[in-house]
Amino acid sequence: MASVATMETTTEETGAMGVTFERGDGVLIAKTEGRVDGANAREFQTDLEDAIDESDRVVVLDLEHLTYISSAGLRVILLTVKMLRKQEAMFSVCSLPDTIREVFEISGFDKIIPIHASQSEAIAALKA
Amino acid sequence: MQRPYKILVVDDEPDLEPLVLQRMRRNIRSGQYEFVFAQNGVEALKRLNQDEGIDMVLSDINMPQMDGLTLLEQIPEVDPNIRSVIVSAYGDMKNIRTAMNRGAFDFVTKPLDFEDLRVTIERTLQHLTEWREALAVRDKLVALQNELDVASKMQQSILPTRFPGGDDYQLFANMEPARNVGGDFFDVVRLENSRIGLAIADVSDKGVPAALFMMSSRTLLKGAAIGSPEPGDVLREVNELLNEDNEAAMFVTVLYAVFNPANGELVYSNGGHNPPVIVHADGSFTVLPLTGGIALGMLPDIEYGQKTITLSPGDTAILYTDGVTEAMNADDEEFGLERLCRIFADAPPKDAKEANSTIFKAVHDFAGYTPQSDDITCLTLRRSED
Repeated sequence: MASVATMETTTEETGAMGVTFERGDGVLIAKTEGRVDGANAREFQTDLEDAIDESDRVVVLDLEHLTYISSAGLRVILLTVKMLRKQEAMFSVCSLPDTIREVFEISGFDKIIPIHASQSEAIAALKA
Repeated sequence: MQRPYKILVVDDEPDLEPLVLQRMRRNIRSGQYEFVFAQNGVEALKRLNQDEGIDMVLSDINMPQMDGLTLLEQIPEVDPNIRSVIVSAYGDMKNIRTAMNRGAFDFVTKPLDFEDLRVTIERTLQHLTEWREALAVRDKLVALQNELDVASKMQQSILPTRFPGGDDYQLFANMEPARNVGGDFFDVVRLENSRIGLAIADVSDKGVPAALFMMSSRTLLKGAAIGSPEPGDVLREVNELLNEDNEAAMFVTVLYAVFNPANGELVYSNGGHNPPVIVHADGSFTVLPLTGGIALGMLPDIEYGQKTITLSPGDTAILYTDGVTEAMNADDEEFGLERLCRIFADAPPKDAKEANSTIFKAVHDFAGYTPQSDDITCLTLRRSED
């Protein structure tokens, strides 16, 4: 990550959810932490929509510090997938804790979104 | 810009009007206040009825035709959100108390101290502004609550309350809605050759749009179930239909199974849903493997696999939603699949309905006083012993 300069950082600390964005080297990384559920899914959606630019071509959602995601939260990720497909951008998720990976596998999200072990793996795969 | 606050001054003293206009001229010129005048209570009421924009009344007590205390009683009938300030003789506590009891917000005394009057007006109008904001928030909450009530009624209305069953098997299902969240449903469909279609599902959002999505999911599922004997085909068809015009990217996880009471065969297809658990007659359990599907409504052109198992006599199939496994306790621990599987380790189910309530009880006991954050739904199917 040394080559990626931090260009923009916003943190929402309302509720138990937060998204931090880092943009650099043609990649937007969105680090999501805490708990995404029905109560803050809209906030999660707004955070992502506001941060993702039409010109973004590579977006990685880093879920290392995500503790819980409900189906309302998964829906926001699906909306993001659909939005990024429209603008022909690459999208993947990385660093999923076991419990989150399980949710992705049960719901079938692992079949529509590439999952990577780490940010660097995700970036390498998306830029290849 | 905010329109000027309109203040109605009621007094039979004709000198008051030019005095008020003169002393309050700065507030008038800056567009802060606008004053209108009436000579007595009757005239004031007429004015209040004609002019909808009056925010505040400043009224004398002793006036011909209708006095200020009578006027106070009449004002709320015109508009309960108008605030009144009474002008009384100095030390006239009896009238001041009466005025306050009749809903006056404050009082000033004669001879008028305009500095005090200015502060009183400001305080009254500030209170009025806050009151109006609170009313607006309340209205929004009421609208939101109504919407959630509609969604909740829609959800309850589609759930079956009577279940097929007999010598070969028993079936029972229940849904406990979380406050303000609604997304789970289940369904039971009678198919050809005495077979039974079982569905349990969880919609990804809440509120009226999600409830409508739930209604259409349930209707499409029922139609597809009647049309095809193969669970995989049923989910594929419903998925295609749900993907038409789904801009909101809502989705629904569905476990759909067809049970044949004659031989205990259970064919299931999993569309992104929690895997069912089979509790055997000896208390051991099996978690049914996934079938390679994804939640319905996410993407078109998805193939849904299916698997076949046989329920032995005394086996109980438990279909549930994540409200069961993700129920939290005070220590932020999840109930989890493991706990669900082990509920019956020492006392295997003897009856579907009883097993169902045992599961709900186990979840409640685990969660304690921790608020329920998601719907809890469970459907149990038990094949009778020979």
